[in-house]
Amino acid sequence: MTDAEVTECLARGREGDEKAILELFHYMYPLVTKLVEANLPARESAEDLVQQVCIKVMANLKQFSGKVPFLHWVSRIAVNTCLNQIRHEKRRPEVRLADLSEDEATVVEHLASTPGDLTASDQVASRELVDKLLGTLRPDDRLLMRLMYLEGNHVDEIASLTGWNKSLIKVRAFRARAQLRRRYRLLMKENP
Amino acid sequence: MNPIDDQLNRLFRSAAQGRPGPISAPPYGLETRVMAAWRAAPSGEAGFWDMTLLVRGLIVAGLITAVSFWPALTSSTATSATNPFADFLQLTDSTIPSDDAP
Repeated sequence: MTDAEVTECLARGREGDEKAILELFHYMYPLVTKLVEANLPARESAEDLVQQVCIKVMANLKQFSGKVPFLHWVSRIAVNTCLNQIRHEKRRPEVRLADLSEDEATVVEHLASTPGDLTASDQVASRELVDKLLGTLRPDDRLLMRLMYLEGNHVDEIASLTGWNKSLIKVRAFRARAQLRRRYRLLMKENP
Repeated sequence: MNPIDDQLNRLFRSAAQGRPGPISAPPYGLETRVMAAWRAAPSGEAGFWDMTLLVRGLIVAGLITAVSFWPALTSSTATSATNPFADFLQLTDSTIPSDDAP
C-alpha cells in the first residue's frame, strides 16, 4: 500500500467507511506482529500485545494527523507499548551453563570451537540462547539490543522508533553490550 | 576483534536468521475488537472540550478579562466622543490645586 493509498483509506475512514479502516488494519498487522515478536521473547504474551497495539492504534487513528508516514506512527506505538510491557518483566540475574538446554550448550561450544558462522540447525537454539542472555539485561537495554542486533536497525532508526536521544542510544548500547560480554564470558568459563 | 565480541556477533547473526516469519492473518475476533475500538474513539476534530484544562482556562480567563474591561473602554470613548471639553476638564482637574487642600 502506498502513502497515497493510506491517505485515501484514512479519508474514507473519516467519512465512516469501515472497509477502509479494515484495509488499514490488515496493512499494518504484519508490521505490528513483527515488531512485537522481535521485542518480546515470550510468544504467548506477544499475541496479547499485538492485540493491545492494534486496538491502541485504531483507538487513536482519528487523531493521526498524517505528518509522519502511517507505518512509522504505528511502529512508534508498537515499540512504546512493548517497552511499557517489558518494564514490568523481571530480569534474571544471570545465565548459568546449567540453565541452558542441550542445544543451547552445543551452540556455546560451537561458537568457542569454530571460527565461522553457525549452521542453520543452530539458529533456533541460538535464538533461545540470545533470549536468555538478553533476559539478564534491563528492559530498555534489552529492547535496544534486539532492535540493534536482531532487527539490524541503525541508531537513527532506533531514535525515531523509541524517541530516545541518539547519544543516549549509543551510551546505552555500549553499556548493554559490555554487560552481555560479561555474562557471555561467565558462560564460557563454565564451558569445559 | 575481541574473541568474545566475535562470538557474540556470530550468535546474534544466527539468532536473527532463526527468527520466525510474521503472522500474516490476524487471529479470529481481533478485527471485531479493532473496529469496536475505532468506533468508540472520539472524533479527531478537536472541539472545546478536547483541549487541555490549561488552554481552556486561559481562554475563559481571556474572555472574563475582555468582558470586565469592555464597559470601561466603551464608556471612556463615549464620553470623549460626545463631550468635546471632556479631555480639557479632566486636565484642569488634575493640574489646578484645590483650595480645600491642607
